[in-house]
Amino acid sequence: MGLLEYFRLAVRALKSNKMRTVLTMLGISIGVAVTILVVAIGEGATKSVADQVNGLGTNLLTVHQGPRQMKLTAATRNAPTQTQSTLTLDDAQMAATMFPDTIAAVAPQVRGNIQVRLNASNAQSTVLGTTPQYMIVNNVTMRSGRFFTMLEAQGNLKVCVIGNTTAGNLTGNPNADLTGQTISVNRDDYLIIGMLTPKGTGTGGPDPDDMVMMPVTTAMQRVLGAKYISDFSISCISPTMMVMAQQQVTALLRQRHHLMPPFPQNDDFVVNNQTDLLARSQNVTKTMTMLLTAVAVISLVVGGIGIMNVMLMSVKERTREIGIRKAIGARSRDILMQFLIEASIISVLGGIEGVILGVVSAVLLASFGGWNTIINPMALVLAVAASASVGIFFGIHPAQKAAAMNPIEALRYE
Amino acid sequence: MDADNHVNLLSLRDIYKIYTIGGQEVHALDGVCLEVNVGEFVAIMGPSGSGKSTLMNMIGCLDVPTSGTYKIDGVEVSTLDGDALAAIRNRKIGFVFQGFNLIARTSALENVELPLMYGQQGDRKAAATAALVRVGLGDRLDHTSSELSGGQQQRVAIARAIVSKPRLILADEPTGNISTLQSEEIMQIFQQLNDDGVTIVMVTHEEDIARHCKRRVDMRDGKVVGDGPVKDRLMAGDVIEQLKRPLVAEPAAVPAGV
Repeated sequence: MGLLEYFRLAVRALKSNKMRTVLTMLGISIGVAVTILVVAIGEGATKSVADQVNGLGTNLLTVHQGPRQMKLTAATRNAPTQTQSTLTLDDAQMAATMFPDTIAAVAPQVRGNIQVRLNASNAQSTVLGTTPQYMIVNNVTMRSGRFFTMLEAQGNLKVCVIGNTTAGNLTGNPNADLTGQTISVNRDDYLIIGMLTPKGTGTGGPDPDDMVMMPVTTAMQRVLGAKYISDFSISCISPTMMVMAQQQVTALLRQRHHLMPPFPQNDDFVVNNQTDLLARSQNVTKTMTMLLTAVAVISLVVGGIGIMNVMLMSVKERTREIGIRKAIGARSRDILMQFLIEASIISVLGGIEGVILGVVSAVLLASFGGWNTIINPMALVLAVAASASVGIFFGIHPAQKAAAMNPIEALRYE
Repeated sequence: MDADNHVNLLSLRDIYKIYTIGGQEVHALDGVCLEVNVGEFVAIMGPSGSGKSTLMNMIGCLDVPTSGTYKIDGVEVSTLDGDALAAIRNRKIGFVFQGFNLIARTSALENVELPLMYGQQGDRKAAATAALVRVGLGDRLDHTSSELSGGQQQRVAIARAIVSKPRLILADEPTGNISTLQSEEIMQIFQQLNDDGVTIVMVTHEEDIARHCKRRVDMRDGKVVGDGPVKDRLMAGDVIEQLKRPLVAEPAAVPAGV
């Protein structure tokens, strides 16, 4: 008896109980669809994290305030963990000038929430005070107008550049070009000298286009009244210089802040590099993917058990048929193949249905849910192969049971 | 043509079948000896528990004896494995069961094709159609078993038994579940097949049915207790004539009585 023959037999048996076949297939379909969706989401997330980190600029180090337990004096012993930044504009400028062999540019940053006004309209926004170096360090480009110059930055001038979202909030039109107009921040007038090229929201986080950027001195003295900067970004000469630059900046800041060992417990700052950031977020994604994959595998196994259950039921129901077939000359192998192929058809069809379901939902999630999903053709092939093996694996036991039946007893079965 | 060399089709010598049930030995067959030649039509009779079903299973190669030798068509069966037994069942034996045992939701034609599927190559559909025409069901090829009467189902089963042109037909109470007229029609087919040279062994407990055969073997407690030719044999064709006659005569008899 040829394979085609077994196939025909199996198809007929499956057709004779369509509802059961479809429901059993659904078990596998869902398993496969979940697998594909999970892999698509996982790969999409990994890629968007990588893109985001690369978008921060190359060879980038960032220096933030760090948690420090200050227990130096009686007065500060019981103080809560310090959260106020202790980084100064001078820290940033020292870092920029002291290590010309490793550091190319440093951009100090000071941030705060502000109220802006254009004519009669008001909007909440974020002020970012920095220097022209920011353009180099953070890959910023201008949509129109220009960024402020070093002279303007040092001169405490009342100029600013703004992002699209801010412009949109003020005028109702995010594409409005406000270059040359004057906005009021804290009842003081500022000249808009340029518009930032929109960066768009990546995956969550604050909107980088809702931004009023101005010289760091202006922001600190006129707008925020701040003594310290929030953080600063360092662009290294080359990726190989990053480790060295990190050590140099760390040493410089410890000395300037008069910190005492042990380190890094007593550091009041943290120097992050891009690869750390990438590795950390990829670790998170990897864990998530593994977790979801486990869920997918479990659902495949559950689907497989469904197949086994249905096949066992089917073998029992068709005991007499098996007896008849054996009596008129079917070998055990013929019976085994008949039932095994039945199980395989269910699982392969279920797998294909699952692929369609998975791909469609991944595409829908991408276009309506705003998720970043990447469909890997390898994953599709793997999913179908996995579902076929599930069918064969869970089909073997029932098929063997059918093949091993004694024809006399099977014929007598009511 | 090795078949022609063996006038002796079945040869059972000292066949024992011993089951152990609850620690007790049960001799289902207790030293059975039986020879059946080509062209015979044998009825095996006996009360339930006499071992006739076990003997049928043995002859049908569905079961192997505990001891003894059994040759079918010159082939020693008692030492064969499952696949070899399946091949013998497929090529040399046609089965007809009491409960018809057709596969549900499957057409008459496909039921009859079944043995060919596990055996020889060739035009299955033509062979199956010919077998169904032979049992008078040429117009019911596509009917499923639920669309056929008991007698028709049994005729499909006979067509299935003869489709691979076996040398032996084994029938286990073939008329047990059907009406008298239909039983006679079944027996008529068997007698015609036997006239064409097919050897038939049939288990029955009905005296009338046994009288259609040529030889009668009686069994009791796992032993053969009687073996001889059937006297005043019934021909199914005649019996059908008789059965049909009163049906025609009756309406005429009513006005005569008034």
